[in-house]
Amino acid sequence: MARKRSGKPTRKTTRPAPEAEDYPPELARLPPGRHGLPREFVTHNQRERLIAGLAEAVAEHGYSGATIAHITRSAAVSRRTFYEHFAGKDECFVAGYDAVMGELRERVSEAFEEADDWAQAVKAGIAAMLQFLAANPSLARLCMVEALVAGPAVVERYDAAIQSFVPYFQKGREGRSPEVLSRLSATTEEALVGGMVSLISRRIIAGRTEELEELLPDLVEFTLTPYLGSDEAAKIANEG
Amino acid sequence: MPPGRHPLPREFIARHQRARIIAALAEVTVEKGYRSVTVADIVRRAGIARNTFYENFSSKEDCFLAASEFALDEALRRVTDAAGKVDSWPARVNVGLAALLHYAATEPALARACIVEVLSAGPAAVERYESSIQAFVPPLRLGRKVSPNGEQLPETLEETIVGGIFWILYQRIVMGQVEEIEELLPELVEFSLTPYLGAEAAKRAAAVAEPSVEG
Repeated sequence: MARKRSGKPTRKTTRPAPEAEDYPPELARLPPGRHGLPREFVTHNQRERLIAGLAEAVAEHGYSGATIAHITRSAAVSRRTFYEHFAGKDECFVAGYDAVMGELRERVSEAFEEADDWAQAVKAGIAAMLQFLAANPSLARLCMVEALVAGPAVVERYDAAIQSFVPYFQKGREGRSPEVLSRLSATTEEALVGGMVSLISRRIIAGRTEELEELLPDLVEFTLTPYLGSDEAAKIANEG
Repeated sequence: MPPGRHPLPREFIARHQRARIIAALAEVTVEKGYRSVTVADIVRRAGIARNTFYENFSSKEDCFLAASEFALDEALRRVTDAAGKVDSWPARVNVGLAALLHYAATEPALARACIVEVLSAGPAAVERYESSIQAFVPPLRLGRKVSPNGEQLPETLEETIVGGIFWILYQRIVMGQVEEIEELLPELVEFSLTPYLGAEAAKRAAAVAEPSVEG
């Protein structure tokens, strides 16, 4: 697991008594030394340990290859305990998926809200997403690749998660001239989000997560162009 | 060969057998979903022996991957054929996209098996799928030659356009709206052409978009 790049303290250290769900599964239990994470992130909450165990097992064996034995071994809980929390692997995965996606969504949303205007917000949101995925390659793969094998419940969530980015772009329609609006169609935002996710997904599949943050200028230009025109979009994409 | 008897060449039979198995796979997949489909389901629907299946494919997953490649190859062939009949690049994108949408709309089971269900077959399938759709990038990339700002376009532009189009197809299939796919033609043409030609020219080119008459 990659170390956080900025060296700044994470949000979590400034929060009192964080909830276990606040942590991505990977942070929930891995010992220091192996992954460079402070012990205070380790939770004794069984459910969270199981989710972390699942993340580890899937990272090592893939979803199909991961067994409940792998999960419980990683989580250091008994098989019986596993079944107290989850009916099976699929259900455990759903919980893990929700935890990671919850974390990702929160970071994107925060970055978006903090920006001055919509275009900068989109840039900040995409940057936050790429940063998270790049810093957590196993989780990135879990959410975008392994998730599709984990059964219809997860696939539904995957689809919904992608669609959930659509409103961020739809906001870009506010205050535009009739001329600009006439060029947008019902599927514009869906196509933008789909294209963006497809590109990111390919990099993750290829194991090129270190390159994810480099995609930022291209993605910003691609997504802002329909609303701002290519010159303005390119300018914002390439500045700072 | 003995006189008077001209059995079909082995290759011909093999190819058609594969196509038949793939068609059967598509049908049972729509009914049951990837995870629940068994090789038994496929052979029963195809009306072949189990051995015959295993002469062609090593597993259910292998069959899915082959089906996906088969369909995407065929889609590309239709796109290229259609594009070959017109002269300008925008017109090629227009008729090419029309051919793609028409194929998906008229082969809904195959579209579902190859665009939606195949992704549940595992990371290798996801990877193959994403690579396969990249075959549509080169024809699109030709737009840089006719674009006034071709030099400045983002390097990943074609990848994202293709990804966006297939995501929309995926969503429509998932939502059971395959028949309406062809209605998306004008907006998808606009989406594809706009980065190269600007909104006005793209809109004009899309306005002459007509559904493909090819069967």
